[in-house]
Amino acid sequence: MIPALGLLLGIVAGLVFDVSVPLALQPYLPIAVVAALDAVFGGLRAVMDGVFDDKVFVVSFVANVLIAAFIVFLGDQLGVGAQLSTAVIVVLGIRIFTNVATIRRHLFRA
Amino acid sequence: MRARPDLGQGAVAILVGLLGFTAVLQVRGEDEDLLNRARRADLIQILDGLTVRGDQLERQVAELEADRRELASGADSEQASLEQTATLARQLAVLAGTAAATGPGIVVTVNDPAGSLPARALFSAVQELRSAGAEAIEIAGADDQQARVVASTYVVDDGSGVEVDGVHLEAPYRFTVIGEPQALTEAMNFPQGLVDTVTEGGGRVTVTQDDEVVVDAVHESTPAEYAVPAPEEDAG
Repeated sequence: MIPALGLLLGIVAGLVFDVSVPLALQPYLPIAVVAALDAVFGGLRAVMDGVFDDKVFVVSFVANVLIAAFIVFLGDQLGVGAQLSTAVIVVLGIRIFTNVATIRRHLFRA
Repeated sequence: MRARPDLGQGAVAILVGLLGFTAVLQVRGEDEDLLNRARRADLIQILDGLTVRGDQLERQVAELEADRRELASGADSEQASLEQTATLARQLAVLAGTAAATGPGIVVTVNDPAGSLPARALFSAVQELRSAGAEAIEIAGADDQQARVVASTYVVDDGSGVEVDGVHLEAPYRFTVIGEPQALTEAMNFPQGLVDTVTEGGGRVTVTQDDEVVVDAVHESTPAEYAVPAPEEDAG
């Protein structure tokens, strides 16, 4: 219940405050958002499986975001930023799909 | 034991809230800073596209400027030919006697107390002036009556004086002539010329040369009733 409230609050804050993203963070923000989405869907799946743990979620969330951003940063330094960010998105996308599939099985028994 | 799950849930809530916040920011910023987030390869491609487009536009600008210059010079030459035509019109107006004229020339005063000077003598005086290169001629009589001499001018006897283009003139006659003064003066003194003729009849002729005489009698030009310009191809 509290996490849902937090999500709502965050969205409302994003809509209300017109904060522009710092230039240095702009290439990494989209990747970070996708990585965080992956962590959130992973957490939802854990809830469905009945094995959800706050600590695991927080750690995986932060680690996901940092690692994704770091990979893209590394790619930019190596001159393959565009390709690497695509790779990260693909991997995270696959993970999100897998998690969503498990959630779906729990919800619809199918 | 109660505090721990709340703390954990709070942390989860904060992280999820952060996700919502950044996701919304990202979505809202998407349409604004496309270039800021674009990578080097994309930027190079965009730059290439812009360079090509800029070249095209520059060529277009050059073409349009050439067109503009062409049109401007066309307008200039049109203006020049207009001025040329206007000058020609003024010169023709002097020739046709429809405009006043000024320039160097002579003033010839003919005193004819006997009133015996025939129109023929005046007309031959005009002919002599023309042969000496007179460019504008005006004949004035007593009482400020005056007539401009043009191509169609006639001179006939009319009682006590002469009639020039329908204007009755009486002695003393005054010719105002624009042309080369010396040549005109000599024309007046031809053997059997105006001076001779008038002197024989008991009159007196005075010729005055001047750097600036004014011919201000104007011929009323009437449109030709019968003669029309011949078509160009038949003319040659």
